[in-house]
Amino acid sequence: MTKHWKLKEIVLMSILGVVFGIIYLAFFLVGQGIRNVLAPFGLAPFGYEIIFGIWFIVSIIAAYIIRKPGVAFTAELIAGVTEVLLGTAAGPGLILAAAIQGLGAELAFALTRWKDYRLRILILSGIFAAIFSFTWNLFSSGNIALAPTLLVAMLVVRVISGALLAGVLGKWLSDQLAKTGVLRGYALGKELQKKREKGAA
Amino acid sequence: MISSINPTIKAFAIFIPGILLSFTFDMFTPLVYFLFILIVTFTMSDIPFLKWLKIFSPFLLVALSFAWMTILYTNQTFSYGEVLFTLFGIEITRGSMITGISLALRSLCFVCLSILFALTTNSTKFMLSLMQQCKVPPKITYGILAGYRFLPMFREELQILRQAHRIRGFSRTKGLKGRWNQFRRYSIPLLANGIRKAERVAIAMESKGFTGDTDRTHYHEMDVSVRDWLFFTLIVGVFFITVAFSYSLGYLNIFGKQF
Repeated sequence: MTKHWKLKEIVLMSILGVVFGIIYLAFFLVGQGIRNVLAPFGLAPFGYEIIFGIWFIVSIIAAYIIRKPGVAFTAELIAGVTEVLLGTAAGPGLILAAAIQGLGAELAFALTRWKDYRLRILILSGIFAAIFSFTWNLFSSGNIALAPTLLVAMLVVRVISGALLAGVLGKWLSDQLAKTGVLRGYALGKELQKKREKGAA
Repeated sequence: MISSINPTIKAFAIFIPGILLSFTFDMFTPLVYFLFILIVTFTMSDIPFLKWLKIFSPFLLVALSFAWMTILYTNQTFSYGEVLFTLFGIEITRGSMITGISLALRSLCFVCLSILFALTTNSTKFMLSLMQQCKVPPKITYGILAGYRFLPMFREELQILRQAHRIRGFSRTKGLKGRWNQFRRYSIPLLANGIRKAERVAIAMESKGFTGDTDRTHYHEMDVSVRDWLFFTLIVGVFFITVAFSYSLGYLNIFGKQF
C-alpha cells in the first residue's frame, strides 16, 4: 500500500491528520456545549450526534485530494493517534474508533475501486463512517444500554451529520484549497487544472 | 519510572485494558481498576499532582453528565432491579443506576490511562519505537513527525493572519454569516500554507537522501527490556485480576449479563 504513495502525499496526509486531530479535540468541547444547551429539552444524547460528521472529515478530505487506496483510513488513524497523544477523554480506545471510522469511509471508495470521487461517493463515505462508528459506539461507550428508539434516532442524526459535515463540507474545503493552487501536485489539483485547460480551449 | 518504558509496549499495555473495559457494565470492576491506575500514576511516574488535576477535572464533569444521561435512558436489558425513584415520569431502577455509574467510572479509567500515556511519552520516541518495534514504514512515521513539527507554526501563522486582517480593517463580524466568513478567511489560508510546507518538507527529505526504505539504520535505537514487559504484565495482569476478583464476588456484569 505504502509503495504506491509518494512521500509528499504521505506528508500531506500526516499533516492533515495532525491538524484535524486537534480540530477533533476542540469539537469535543463544542459537542459538550451543544449538549448542555440541549439538556433542558431532554435532547442531551443528540449533543454529539449533530456534529459527529466532523470526526470523519479528514478521511474524505485526504481521499478526495490524494485519491489512492488506503488514504481515507490512514488519515483518520493518524488523527486518532494525535488525539490520544495530546490527551483525550475517550482514552486509548479512540485509536481503534478512528480505525473503524476510517474503514467505513474507505469502504465507499473501495466499492468504486478508488476511481470515483464525485460528491455522491463522498457523501456515501461519510454515511458509511457514521454507521461504522455508531456500531462501535454501541460497545465502546456503552450505548447498547440505551433505549432502542433513542438509538435509532441517534443513528439517523449521525448519518445525516456524516453526509453533510463530512461529505459536503469536506468536498467544499478541498475544492477551496484546490482553487488556491497549492494542490497542483496532487490528484485533485491536477483534475482542476485539466478542467481549466478544457475551459480555455 | 513510566517515562522510560518503551512507548510501543506502553501503548499496548494501556490499549488492552482500555478496550476490554468497554465490555464490563458493573460498578466494581472499573472502580477497582480506576483506583489501581491512580496508584500507578502517582507512584510510578513523576507527573505533578496539580498538573494532573488540571487536565483531569474537566473530564469529571463530562463523566457525570454521561452517567446522568445513561441513568435516564437505559433500555430493558440494563434497567433490572427494583425502582428506586421516579423523575419526570421516568422510573429509575437499581440496574440503570449501576449502569450509569459504571459507564462514568469507565470513562474516568479511560481518561486516566490517556493522561498517563500522554504525559509520560515523548512523541518523537513513540514514532521511533513504532518504526523499530512495530515495523511501521519510515515514510509514515517521519511524515507524522514532520506534521507535529508544524503545529507551533500554525499558531504563529494564525496570529499573522489575524494581524494582517486587522491592519486592513477586517474586524470581527457578528452573526452566523459573519462567523462562517471568518471561518473561511482563516481556515483556507492556514491549510493552504500547511500544504505548501508539507510539499517543501517532502522535497527536502527526498533531496537529502530519504528513500523511505525499511532497511535502514537508526541513530536512536529503541529496545525492549525485561522492565518493559514487567510494566506490561502489571497493567494488563491487574486488569484480569480485577475481573477475576469481581467475578468471584459475583459483581461481574458483561453486556447486562450477570456472572
